[in-house]
Amino acid sequence: MDVSSEQEPGRRWMGVGRSHAADSRPAAAQAARFALTGPDPKLLIVFAAITHDPQAVLAGLAEAAPGVPVVGCTTHGEIGPGGPADGTITVAAIGGAGFQVQTTVARDVTGRQGDAGFEVAACVDRVDLPHKVLMLLTDGLVRDQESIVRGCYRALGAAVPLFGGAAADGWRMSGAYLFKDGQVLTDAVIGVALASEAPLSVAVKHGWRTVGQPMIVTRSLDGRVYTLDDRPALDVYLERLDAPPEAYTDPAAFTAFALPRPLGVQRRSGVEARNLSTEVDLAGKSIGGGGAIDPGGLTWVMTGDEESILEATDDACRDALSGLDGHPPLGMLTFSCAAIRAVLGDDGIQREGQHLDRWAGSRPYAGFYTYGEIARTHGIDGFHNQTLAVLALS
Amino acid sequence: MPGSAESLHIQQLVELMAVVSSSTDESSAVQHAVERSAQALEAEVAAVVLDGKVAASIGFPLGAVPDDDIVAVSLHERDTLDVPGVGRCPVASAAWAGSKPGHLVLARWGEPFAIEEQNLIRGMARLLELTLTMLRTLAAEQSMRESLQERQRLLEQLFTIQRAIARREDLQQILDTITLAARDLLGDEISLLWLRDEDDTGRARLASAADAGGILPGSALTADLTDAATASQAMTVGDIVVRQGGIAATEVVSRFGNGRVHASMGAPVHDSGVVTGALVVASCDEGRVYGPSDVQTLRAFAQNVSLALTDANTVVRMQQAHHDALTGLASRRLFMEQLTQRLATADAEGATVAVLFLDLDRFKDINDTLGHAAGDQLLTVTADRIAAQLRAVDLASRFGGDEFAVMLHRVDGPGDAAAVAGRIATALGKPMHVAHQRLRVGASIGIALSTPGHSDPVELVTHADHAMYEAKRANAGGYAIYDATTSAERDPRPGPVRA
Repeated sequence: MDVSSEQEPGRRWMGVGRSHAADSRPAAAQAARFALTGPDPKLLIVFAAITHDPQAVLAGLAEAAPGVPVVGCTTHGEIGPGGPADGTITVAAIGGAGFQVQTTVARDVTGRQGDAGFEVAACVDRVDLPHKVLMLLTDGLVRDQESIVRGCYRALGAAVPLFGGAAADGWRMSGAYLFKDGQVLTDAVIGVALASEAPLSVAVKHGWRTVGQPMIVTRSLDGRVYTLDDRPALDVYLERLDAPPEAYTDPAAFTAFALPRPLGVQRRSGVEARNLSTEVDLAGKSIGGGGAIDPGGLTWVMTGDEESILEATDDACRDALSGLDGHPPLGMLTFSCAAIRAVLGDDGIQREGQHLDRWAGSRPYAGFYTYGEIARTHGIDGFHNQTLAVLALS
Repeated sequence: MPGSAESLHIQQLVELMAVVSSSTDESSAVQHAVERSAQALEAEVAAVVLDGKVAASIGFPLGAVPDDDIVAVSLHERDTLDVPGVGRCPVASAAWAGSKPGHLVLARWGEPFAIEEQNLIRGMARLLELTLTMLRTLAAEQSMRESLQERQRLLEQLFTIQRAIARREDLQQILDTITLAARDLLGDEISLLWLRDEDDTGRARLASAADAGGILPGSALTADLTDAATASQAMTVGDIVVRQGGIAATEVVSRFGNGRVHASMGAPVHDSGVVTGALVVASCDEGRVYGPSDVQTLRAFAQNVSLALTDANTVVRMQQAHHDALTGLASRRLFMEQLTQRLATADAEGATVAVLFLDLDRFKDINDTLGHAAGDQLLTVTADRIAAQLRAVDLASRFGGDEFAVMLHRVDGPGDAAAVAGRIATALGKPMHVAHQRLRVGASIGIALSTPGHSDPVELVTHADHAMYEAKRANAGGYAIYDATTSAERDPRPGPVRA
């Protein structure tokens, strides 16, 4: 059991609770009770391992905090004080008169991602405190998540930062779940309009660097890259990295090889990483992953190591906390990429946890390993791969 | 390489081109350009201004786009934009000229746009201009193709109509076809054909009407011309009249739409060169504007109405000239013309022509006692009964008074002709209901057959007339065949037959 909380008496508070218990309902209830550290709870955010029974998780939360709105999702590992963990239920709670929360959901998202994003953004209209963030929890197995973020931007413009993550399923790739109040959802987007009397701050960083010369995307469609430099994309990518022969034929070997080697996409402020490990098509020799890669664009193979990734962890936390304009932080939500785990390894993620602990100090934080991170503060893009996204609350 | 601003900008242009040039219409091209340029420059705001209006934008909350400020930036009247949630942002804009001039406007939080970024924005604007020009060219081509297809459909419709007119198909059916075709081809909901009321020139009769559901069943609807204003104006002006708006709910046309009628167009129709009505189309679509090709289409249909009316009425007038007004049978003149023609070719064809001459036995008495109206009625019934006994190639005529003549074409001999005469005598011998009375009126029938080498129609009719007198003398209600040997020496008639 790990518990921590930070309060500004009477106005705003955040708490985090975690249970390692295997029995889903009591585990969820226990985690929620520990997270509820102040009066007037406004929202429970639950991160549950895919091994838990989702209905029992919801029942446990309802038992511990009847009537309190619930959002959440399944994970590829839960982040919280005491370090990253697998198989837990980790709950963050926020409350107090200084917070406003409105939640909403769009269903049947596949094929209408942009419209779904546009729909959930409407919940922002129902909060009116000066500092606002729209938090999104998406189904990590839905393609083209950029369009969800773009749909939100169309509705909100630059006025409201976006933060969130894509639900994961412990790398099973068979189905992640979203939670909203009493419901277990797939193919959905949950929107949470979070408004506060004090600043809320979003930041995102990745720790990858480009390797070698760029490649031109010569044919791509719907998020898949078919050719790079006019040759089958898979061959070009693997050749560049001098991949072992089994990566060409064995999907598991490819995934293991590609996880720490994302494809970089050029943007004005740097190269963005795109994870290729999950949607391999060895027969068709195309590559695809968590985000759109446009035809005509330049791409690089990218690599990273523990040092560069942990540096990015520090940068993201520093940026988020400094965005609070001097207000004392209440806590953080920290969404890290599932693929980073593969690079860092089990020991490495513990060290990532230690870095987070250092930045949080005595303040609570919670999050999960995602299938895609959402963080938009400037510009119109906000969907990321292989990053750490942080929301700091004050 | 990744750090080179130049290569990045080239890549961003290529990406923009790939996305924008795949757009299939102007609005999606503009939307893509807005989103992609904002993405490339990591700008909070991007907008496209066309014709002094914001055509698309991103970065402002829904319903709170400061259109005037964006337009002002495009005109270099402002150099910042206030973006909610971000603050006052530096801007950049690039203009393009051409057939539809416009501006690409960007706003980004932080530092002003660098000179090379402004260049990139100009490149993007130029790319968008090229894409929009290409899309407009394609749209113009498409519209030209569609217009050609429309022309083809019009020609096919007109061909069908003109063939129906040439075949003298039912006039009402032809008018309905034209009315419906005008509605279909112009794509409107309503099409009405008004014809001036013959008895009251201030009123018009609805000769055909089609609404969204198709042709409406015939109605005897007549209206004051003031309530058929489009038709009335077209008839007065003698040319096409287009009305956009101002159509009163009291006008007859308003009864046929699903809502308020917003536009209407009428073309005059003529019968033998005289304006007799108008073909009118109307639409409940607020945005309906009649263009030159619509005018041309309606004019073509109106001309076809004129063609159908003139043709049908010419036929009627011709019939009136050649037919007996009371009975509808051929006039004496038409009968003699036809007989002349038949006899002229009879020898060559080896055919025999027979003429039957009929005289009602008690006609004068009935006319005197029951009056002319009863007499006329009697003649009409008689004509119908005679016609009923004939083949299509035969011809019956009213010669005058109570005299009728029948021409039988290609008879095999006297027996044939006698059989027809017998049938006519039997038919006429049956009681007739005239003037509330049951009358029995017999007829005497004379039969004469053509003989080879004799092609004088007057002679043949005279022979039949002689035979008729034979029949009347011998046995009223019967028939007699002309016998040259007997009839020649004792002509019973007071004078020669009037032919």
